[in-house]
Amino acid sequence: MGHGSRSGWQTPTGALLWEIWGQRKVNFAFHAAALLASLFSVWCIKHGADEMVERVLIMVMLSCFLGAYLDLLTCFGYIDADARKIQLGYPARLLLKPVSTLRLVLVPMLFGGAVVAIVLLIWNHWILQPLVHLSALNPFWLGAVILSFFWWMQALAWSLPLMPGRSLIMLIVAVIHLGVGLMPLLPASGLAGWQWPSLAVLLVTALLTARIGLGLMREGKWEGPPRINLFCSRWDSARTRNTREKFGSTFGAQFWLEWRRQGLILPGVTAGMMFVILPLIFVVQQQTGEPARGADFIKILVSLTLLIPLMISSVMGANIARFDQLQPSNELPVYIAVRPMTNGGLVIAKLAMALASSTLTWLAVLVVAVFWLMVLQTHWLITQAATVPPFGVLAIAIGCVPLLMLLILYTWKNLVAGIGAGLTGRRWVVGLFTGWKTVAAIALIGLFSAAKFNDELRSTLRHWLPELLITALVAKVAITIAIFICESRRKVITPGCVGWIVGGWLAGGLFVAGYAGLICRAIHDSDLWLPIALGGFLILPLPDLAIAPLALAWNRHR
Amino acid sequence: MKYPSPSSAEAVISVSGLSRHFGPKRALDEVSVFIPRGSVLGLVGENGAGKTTLIKHLLGSLKALAGSVRVFGLDPVLDPVGVLGRVGYLSERRDLPCWMRVGEFIRYTQAFYPGWDATYAAQLLEQFQLDPVQKIKTLSQGQQAKTGLLAALAYRPELLILDEPSSGLDPVVRRDILEAIIRMVADEGRTVLFSSHLLDEVERVADHVVMLQQGRVVLNGRTEEVRAGHISAVLAFAQPPGAAPMLTGAHAVTGYGSEWRVLFGGSRTELVTAAARVGARVVEERTPTLDEILVARAGGKAS
Repeated sequence: MGHGSRSGWQTPTGALLWEIWGQRKVNFAFHAAALLASLFSVWCIKHGADEMVERVLIMVMLSCFLGAYLDLLTCFGYIDADARKIQLGYPARLLLKPVSTLRLVLVPMLFGGAVVAIVLLIWNHWILQPLVHLSALNPFWLGAVILSFFWWMQALAWSLPLMPGRSLIMLIVAVIHLGVGLMPLLPASGLAGWQWPSLAVLLVTALLTARIGLGLMREGKWEGPPRINLFCSRWDSARTRNTREKFGSTFGAQFWLEWRRQGLILPGVTAGMMFVILPLIFVVQQQTGEPARGADFIKILVSLTLLIPLMISSVMGANIARFDQLQPSNELPVYIAVRPMTNGGLVIAKLAMALASSTLTWLAVLVVAVFWLMVLQTHWLITQAATVPPFGVLAIAIGCVPLLMLLILYTWKNLVAGIGAGLTGRRWVVGLFTGWKTVAAIALIGLFSAAKFNDELRSTLRHWLPELLITALVAKVAITIAIFICESRRKVITPGCVGWIVGGWLAGGLFVAGYAGLICRAIHDSDLWLPIALGGFLILPLPDLAIAPLALAWNRHR
Repeated sequence: MKYPSPSSAEAVISVSGLSRHFGPKRALDEVSVFIPRGSVLGLVGENGAGKTTLIKHLLGSLKALAGSVRVFGLDPVLDPVGVLGRVGYLSERRDLPCWMRVGEFIRYTQAFYPGWDATYAAQLLEQFQLDPVQKIKTLSQGQQAKTGLLAALAYRPELLILDEPSSGLDPVVRRDILEAIIRMVADEGRTVLFSSHLLDEVERVADHVVMLQQGRVVLNGRTEEVRAGHISAVLAFAQPPGAAPMLTGAHAVTGYGSEWRVLFGGSRTELVTAAARVGARVVEERTPTLDEILVARAGGKAS
C-alpha cells in the first residue's frame, strides 16, 4: 500500500466499523469462547455424557447463548448511554462527521444486522437445534423477526432521545413483533400468507424511522415533532397540578424516590416476561402435538409463575442497594448524601420499597396468569376448583393468601439479602459477599447431595438438624447484636430503626413458623415443624439488614 | 495576616489540623480554618489544591482521619442530620437526579427541611425562569445550576456551601448566582462558603479568603488585608540582570532587560529594602488583584 493511499479502514464506512471492532474486541472474544464451549458441550452430549452432566451442559449452553446473543445486540446497537442525562442515543460525536445520514444509519444497521443474523443461525444450526426440536419455529423466520426487532430498537434508541413517551413506543413495537413472530404458529392459517410481507414492512419502516429520526437529530430536533412535544407538555402540566403539594415526611419523600427509581422494575419485568413466555409455551405445545390444555401446560404455568419472580428478584437483588442505577460510580449520589436523613432512615425506605415492589410483583403475576388462563381457554381449571370438596373457589382463594404472603416475603428476601454489601458502594465488598454466598450455597448443596446417597450421613444430619439449626440461629442473633452495639457506638442507627429491622424479622419468622404449623398439622407430620420454623428464621435476612446502616455510613462518610 | 481563630461558640465552621491522603497524593495537609457566623468566605486555589476535599469534609462526605471538623459545633459524620439540616449545598458537578422534573425535585427536597419557605422557593423559581414540569435532564447547564441553587437556598440555611457555583456558566447565570449569595448574606446571621476559580467574584462577594495550595493553607485572612499584604511593583535595574533576580519575599518575577515586574508579599518598606539588595529601585507599585496573587503563588517564583 503506497503512501497516501486509503486502505479499507480509512474510508468513512471502514472507520465506523473499526470503531465497533475497537470498542468491543473483548466482547467478541468472549462470544467466540462461549460458542466454542457450547460446541464442545454438544460434542460431549453426543458422545454419551451422564444424564446429570448433560442437564448441566444444556443449562450452560443456553446461558451462554442468551448471554452472548444479548451482548452481541449491545455490541452492534451503536448506542451511547449518557449516564448523567439517563438517555440513550446515537453517538453524538458521529453526528458531526462529514458523512451522509443514510450512511450513518445503514452501516451499523446492515452490518450489525448481518452479523446478528449469521450468529443466530450458527447457534441455531450447531447448538440449539440438536437440543430443542421445534420444527414449527423456522430459524430463518426467527432470525428475521429478531433482526427486525433489533433494527426497530436501534432506530428508536437513536432517534429523538428527548422525545417524551419513547418507552411506550418501544413497548408497542415489542408487542407488534411478538404478534408478527407468532403468526406462523397461530391456528388461524389465513394469516400465514401475510407473515413475510408484514415482516418486510417492519424491516423497511425500521430503516426509514432510523433515517428520519437521525436526520431530525442532525437538525437539532432532539425532542421530536413539536406537536407531540406540546401534547406531552400539556399532559405533564395537568398531571403535575394534580400531584400532592408536599410529602408528609422525609420517609415518604425517600420512599417515593426509591419507588420511582426501582419499584416498578421487578413487577414490570416479571409481568412482561410472563406475558410473552406463557402464550409461547402454549403455542409451542400445540405445535409439538402435546395437549396444550392438559396437565403439562398447567405444570409449566405453575412452575414458571413461581420461579420467574423468584429468579428475577435474585438477580435484581444485586442492584437494589444502588440509589441511582445509571450512575457510573457506586458512591452515594450527592443529592441524597447531603439530605438531613439518618442512614437508618435511608435503609428503611429502601426495605419498604422492596416490600412494596415484591407485593406488586405477585399481584401482577396473578393478573397475567389469570389473563392467559382465560384467553387460552384454560379457565376451566378455576371453575373446576369449585367442585373440589370441601374447599370451593372462595376457600381456595383465601387459603392461597398465606402462600402469596410467603412468596412475597421470599421475593423481598431475595431483593434485600445483599443490601448490606451493596450499600458499602465498594465493588470488592460485593464481590467478597457474593463469593461467600456462592461457597456457602455450594457447600450446602454438596452436603445435602451427599446425604441423598449416604444413609449414615442422612440419619446423622436428621438427628442433629434441630441442634444445627438452633446453633446457626443463635450465631445469627449474636452477630446481629454485635452489629447493633457497634452501630450504636458509632451513632449510625436509631432505636426506631433497630425496632423496624428486628420487628420485621420476628414478624416474618413467626409467620413462616405459623404457616408451617398449619401445613404440618394438615399433613399430620409434627416432626417437620421445628426445622421448617427454624429454617424460616434462618433464611430471612437479619445481620444483612442490621449491618446496612453501618455499610451506608461507610459509603456516605468515606 | 492570620485570620483570627474565633472561639468555638462563634465559629460556624471550625477545622483544625485536618489532613487527608488519597493513596500517595496529599489532598489536605494540616488545614485549619475558622469561619465566624455571618461571614462570606471565598475558598480559592488551583485545580487539585484541595478545595472540594475540604468541602466534602464539612458535609461529612469524607471522614476526618487526622484532625477535627466541626460545623455548628457538631461532627458532620456523627450527626449528619443535625449538620445537614442547617446547610445548603450546591455541588460542583451539579449532581442532580436527572430523571426527576424540576417540580418533583423541589417537592422531594422540601420534605427534608421543616423550615422550607414555599413563597421564597416560588419567587426563586420565577426569578430563575425554571419550568417545574421540565425534566432536569433536559435543562441546560445554567438551568441545572439554578435548580440546585434554588434547592439549596429555599429553606434559608444558616450555612450555604457552594462548590464552584459558576463553573462553566455564562455571565448572566453567574450574576444571578452572585446576587442570590449577596441577598443571602444580607439575611442576618447567614454564613456562606464558596469555592471559585473566578477570583473577581471572590473579590466582589467574599469578606474573607482562604487560599489552598497543594493541600496547604497559604493565605487566610480578610480579603482586603490579603490584597493589602501584597504589592505588584516594577523594579528598574541600572545594569540588566542576566537572569530573573532572586528577590526575597517575591512570589513571582517576570520581565526582561532592565525592568522586571514582581509580586511581592510584604510591606512597602520590605519591598524597597529587598529591591535595594539586588541593585534595583521601585519605579511603580500598586495593590494586586486576588487573581494576580493566586497566579503568582501557584505559578512559582520566577518565569
